[in-house]
Amino acid sequence: MIEMVNAFALGFTQIFTGTAFVLMILGIVIGFIVGILPGLGGATTLALMLPFIVKMNPVEAFAFLLGMAAVVNTTGDITSILIGVPGEPTTAATIVDGHPMAKKGEAGRALGATLMSSLVGAIFGAFALALAIPIVRPLVLTFGSPEFFMLSLLGITFVASLSGEVLLKGLISGGIGLFIATIGLCPMSGIQRYTFGQIFLWDGIGLVPITIGFFAIPEIIDLAVQGSSIAGGRMGKLGGVTEGVKDTFRHFWLVIRCSAIGTYAAVIPGLGAATTQWLAYAHAVQSSPDKERFGKGAIEGVLGPGAANNSTLGGSLITTIAFGVPASVLMAILLGAFLIHGVVPGPDMLIPEPKGHLALTFSFVWINVVSNIITVGICFLFLNQLVKVTQIRGSLLIPFILLLIYLGAFAEKNTFEDLILVMIFGALGWVLQRLNWPRPPLILGLVLGPLAENRLFLSTDNYGLAWLLRPGVLIILVVTLIGGFYPILRARWRKGKRDKEQPAAPTKAVSRDGIRLLRFSWATIFSLFIVVVFTCALWESRKFNVRAGLFPWAVGFPVLALAIVQFILDLMDKESRIRDDYLTETGPGLPADVVNRRTLNIFGWIIGFFIGIWLLGFNLSGPLCTFIYLKIGAREKWPISIILAIATGVFVYVLFDQLLHVPFPPGLLFNFFSKTFSGGSNI
Amino acid sequence: MLKKLIPLFACIIGFTLLPFITIAAAAPFYEGKTIRIIVGYSPGGGYDAYSRLIARHLGKHIPGNPTVIVENMPGAGSLIAANHLYKVAKPDGLTIANFNGGHFFGQIFGQAGIEFDARKFEFIGAPGRDDPAFVLTKASGITSIEKWMASKTPVKLGGTAPGTHTPNNCIRIVEAALGLPIQLVSGYKGTAEIRLAAESGELVGSAWWWESIKATWRKGIDTGEIIPVLQAVPKPLPDLPMVPLAINLAKTEEARQLIEIGIHSGSVVARPYVLSPGIPKDRVEILRKAYQETLKDKECIAEGEKAKLVFAPVTAEELEKVVNGLFKLDSVLISKLKEITSK
Repeated sequence: MIEMVNAFALGFTQIFTGTAFVLMILGIVIGFIVGILPGLGGATTLALMLPFIVKMNPVEAFAFLLGMAAVVNTTGDITSILIGVPGEPTTAATIVDGHPMAKKGEAGRALGATLMSSLVGAIFGAFALALAIPIVRPLVLTFGSPEFFMLSLLGITFVASLSGEVLLKGLISGGIGLFIATIGLCPMSGIQRYTFGQIFLWDGIGLVPITIGFFAIPEIIDLAVQGSSIAGGRMGKLGGVTEGVKDTFRHFWLVIRCSAIGTYAAVIPGLGAATTQWLAYAHAVQSSPDKERFGKGAIEGVLGPGAANNSTLGGSLITTIAFGVPASVLMAILLGAFLIHGVVPGPDMLIPEPKGHLALTFSFVWINVVSNIITVGICFLFLNQLVKVTQIRGSLLIPFILLLIYLGAFAEKNTFEDLILVMIFGALGWVLQRLNWPRPPLILGLVLGPLAENRLFLSTDNYGLAWLLRPGVLIILVVTLIGGFYPILRARWRKGKRDKEQPAAPTKAVSRDGIRLLRFSWATIFSLFIVVVFTCALWESRKFNVRAGLFPWAVGFPVLALAIVQFILDLMDKESRIRDDYLTETGPGLPADVVNRRTLNIFGWIIGFFIGIWLLGFNLSGPLCTFIYLKIGAREKWPISIILAIATGVFVYVLFDQLLHVPFPPGLLFNFFSKTFSGGSNI
Repeated sequence: MLKKLIPLFACIIGFTLLPFITIAAAAPFYEGKTIRIIVGYSPGGGYDAYSRLIARHLGKHIPGNPTVIVENMPGAGSLIAANHLYKVAKPDGLTIANFNGGHFFGQIFGQAGIEFDARKFEFIGAPGRDDPAFVLTKASGITSIEKWMASKTPVKLGGTAPGTHTPNNCIRIVEAALGLPIQLVSGYKGTAEIRLAAESGELVGSAWWWESIKATWRKGIDTGEIIPVLQAVPKPLPDLPMVPLAINLAKTEEARQLIEIGIHSGSVVARPYVLSPGIPKDRVEILRKAYQETLKDKECIAEGEKAKLVFAPVTAEELEKVVNGLFKLDSVLISKLKEITSK
């Protein structure tokens, strides 16, 4: 015990030795930039840094790498809130309520809240890691595939609470996510599912193009339609930042619970912050008495994911350190760094020196804490400057955000086809947003689907049906059932109470709906579209064998049934009341024809930027499209158009092409030229 | 008369000198150029680690000292990178690809999605052979090949995805060739998850590259909790002199062939460095020579040792021989292999 305390203290002092501290600061600076920029993922950057750590000692190396890893989620939240583009794939959930706050002029409050909750989350995660050290191995080793399957099932039930007021739509949305997760090579049978002969779909659809398309494209359309700055002239209150900090403590227990979700969910192999942020968000919605505020700028919706995506690092480190099982790509790279330094993850990491590496393990805890304190401190200094982004004219931001959207989509896997996916999912996200379909359940289904399917087959292959009777499975089942039914019962109980108090409410709705029978609105057409897509998908799945088909069928048929119900409801116009409320709220009070014209216009630019990149490549189309948009689209003055275009060009070329060697495709037009000047286009 | 002959002489001299001139011209070809190594996997994996290590040292062994950079083009188990090299990359000797050579088998099996002809690629070499060992937990009680053969219940081994050289193909082939009681449980995300499942008792073990097992599961090996019971290699690995070879346990000629082609050859071509077809021969030679020198470079080896990346260089000629050999195989054997590995 004394040895443990010693190691704990030693771990702390180690990171303050000269070079380790300097390298940690360097890591923080890099992580800061990486987090802010949507095109740069923490994992990619970490991989690029690996060669530099060969010459460092272990404490220095991990101070550098973890310093970087610890802050990307904190600064990624900033981008998510300010411009509605996820700074990291792990900060997408912050957009849902954080960006609407920025639009209401409350960016300062949202940032204050996310930074403070990030700090709390990071500290919680770090100490959860420290406390878990003695018990983690035996605990996780009692878990097998059946328990992992049950836990992913428990996660999927969170879809219901993410659905808010529209449960049916939420369930369908979550089902669509689970179904999209089956695209690609089936890991159990090797059969191709819904790949349409495209090999880029073999690995399935990545989370990054979906989240970017889903959240960033609708926001950029809103920004263009609004025709003003993000905050739309609503000035942020000066005290906003401190208000956000206070919010963190006002909802302190929520922040702690979400931190716990982040840390402990991440102990499951295959679950990283990309998932835990949504679980935490779902929990924030679920535990709030008035769910209708969510998605429109509820502070709890910022605090939950803000805390969870940071506390996850502690949990991910537990599995990485104790078992050498990386929870995410980021952790896989850290594992590579372990090996470079002759540190073998496993029980040795939990034994005090000189036999083991416990002080090193504890230094990870401290790096996580200290680098977040430093980052949050720095952020607070610049917060008022950052908030000004929301007051910049939209027309100046749009070309830049559009370019970041495409860069972010491309740079994750260096796959050009992901740009097309961004447009497809952007369009889908926009339709869902307009028609009041919740988007978060879809993402949750997408991230948990593969885990559930995989572990279900592993359980059955390993244990037959006997796994159903394992004690762990039964315990998690009970928890799942309680978690699933409690909110429904509570809602029913509340509703009953409310109905007693306001007996007049239903009659009002009836009188308003009148005797209109069938209505073919956009909502109806979209529901029909879902029915048709699922029918086709299930028809296509008749070719699958049982192993490949079980999951698509288990998801597809119920979702098809739900979609048919939704279609009938839309046909009977059951929901127009909610929808009308919603539309009046987002519409910036502009005449319909202006809205339509501007919407078409921005759609044109979104497609135009894509075509530009396709024909000319990123390097050239970056500045060119920016210039054309500013000068012709937004009628800006010459000097500002030229300066911004050049700045964009330099940014793309120097950072992505020269420094990071992102392999941009050369552009279709250049392929003709390169045939004649072979070798000419290589730098 | 003499005047008329001058152009003729000039031509003759010119043509005799031409090869020398091209060599002289090709030597500085790489000067100021950038060579890209395209890795078919994401950052952080084994392919990526080797490529980045080699990239840091390759440049100094090439005349003209070009810059060498690594680009990741993940997707479809590196098939996207292989197709890209064949179809898109310019044949100028500035693009090298590192992908999974298992796709060469995919070609002879006629699998979908393969858009290259392996025989037309130019090979440079490979950093090592993917020699697999079968490791089982002591807790399972199956501590030797004899006990394994005598086992009444199938031994549960972990796999990742159908078609991967290790663990899946290797386990399937051994099962078919040696008739060992095996139940392959496939679908784990990677060997790390297989290790965890074996430690928790869900699996008995698995089979993959011995060097990687040594690096990531050293604790288990050292304490004797994890025991290598079989190796699928032509000659015993230096660390495992006493562990039986799969090939020696094969009873029939067909079983021998399955192991030789499916596992031994598969291990040789697992991590090739490849150039697109139609590259000037002199550039191919320069890169082959530089590549082999890099793998013997003391600094490179030392750096690799720190990261547990060991070299057992495979030459371009060996790769070529194995790949060309695949296309001369008897069609019965091919369909047998295909049947076994796509189960």
